[in-house]
Amino acid sequence: MADVPKSMAASAQALPLSLDRKRKKEEDRELVRLSQDGTEAAFEELVRRHQQRVFALVGGILRRPEDVEDVAQQVFLKAYLGIKRFDQRAAFSTWLYKIAVNECWDYLRKKKVRPLVYEADLSEEQVSRLDGIVSADRPPEGPGARAETREVLDRMLAALPEQDRQLLVLKEMEGFSVQELAEILDLNVNTVKVRLFRARGRIMDVYRRRMDSSGKLAGSRSTQRKG
Amino acid sequence: MATETKFGYTACAKYEALLEDYLDGALELTDAKSAEQHWRDCANCRGALEQAASSVRLLRLAGPSVGPGPAFARTVMARIRAAEQERSSERAGFWQPLVSLGWRFAATATLVLGALVSYDAGWGRHAQRNLATARLTGTSDIFAPDPANPPADRDEVLMMVAETNHGK
Repeated sequence: MADVPKSMAASAQALPLSLDRKRKKEEDRELVRLSQDGTEAAFEELVRRHQQRVFALVGGILRRPEDVEDVAQQVFLKAYLGIKRFDQRAAFSTWLYKIAVNECWDYLRKKKVRPLVYEADLSEEQVSRLDGIVSADRPPEGPGARAETREVLDRMLAALPEQDRQLLVLKEMEGFSVQELAEILDLNVNTVKVRLFRARGRIMDVYRRRMDSSGKLAGSRSTQRKG
Repeated sequence: MATETKFGYTACAKYEALLEDYLDGALELTDAKSAEQHWRDCANCRGALEQAASSVRLLRLAGPSVGPGPAFARTVMARIRAAEQERSSERAGFWQPLVSLGWRFAATATLVLGALVSYDAGWGRHAQRNLATARLTGTSDIFAPDPANPPADRDEVLMMVAETNHGK
């Protein structure tokens, strides 16, 4: 492996993945065609294949676990009702994710709420716990601890503009690629990259402010600056 | 122009997208080399890159949100079936007044047709009965030709008319 140039090693690793993606896309096309002919089982298979990503996308936008399942169901229902009009020029996943984004915004408009509204700031205890987790640099163990970390991060993310928050959540927490985000959100790929990069700076600003206000980061920051 | 905010760094605008690619591991080797060369000389870009890398570590601590349960696909399909059923009954509901009007019209037309046929059949029997009665009693329409002895020529017709007038 040491003889292989970095870029070639990367493409050698990427090859099976891209082939797998291509195969999945082909299978999706066939499943879509069967669904358009009225085969219910084919659509059910499409649901199984994409449910995880739709959940991640809806969850990433709404950040309200109690609403995610209902909206995700509605997304698949809309996809089923519209599948005969889907011309397969785009990938099924892209088409489906766009439905999901629109459904999320419809839902939020109907409910007349922001995706996530936190009135209260982080408590001392939460700041302290987050500091411990960040220092350990590994995800917290156990569902309770994970949920709490997520809540603390959600509170910090709520301080960002909505689009910054969405991009960061979908990219870093839910695992969407820059290319996917550009397609789903109808943005230029370069715009997504720049916005993401700026959003990273902003979330770290928020994090440092929280830590500074509780005196947690003062020591480490001065050490970092000196270095 | 690179600037440093109170809490962090702002990269040179030209390099922001490149830095994002670098973080993602999506930069081509030649681009990566030129980018590395730049932030070796630019403290702000270097700081911004470190800051961005920290954000990746921070945000990934939360992990992905909870996925769907094992019954999700079945629930979706059940919801789809219910919606389809509702739609078909709605569609039927839309045409229902026209369909019932059609049935009523058909029923009325059948009744009228039946009445006409039965009336026609009844009238025919009545007419035949009258004809038979007339033959038995010897009375018939005076102008009606006798089907048994039709007149041979014009003179016979005139004779018949004359006889009838004498009879009067």
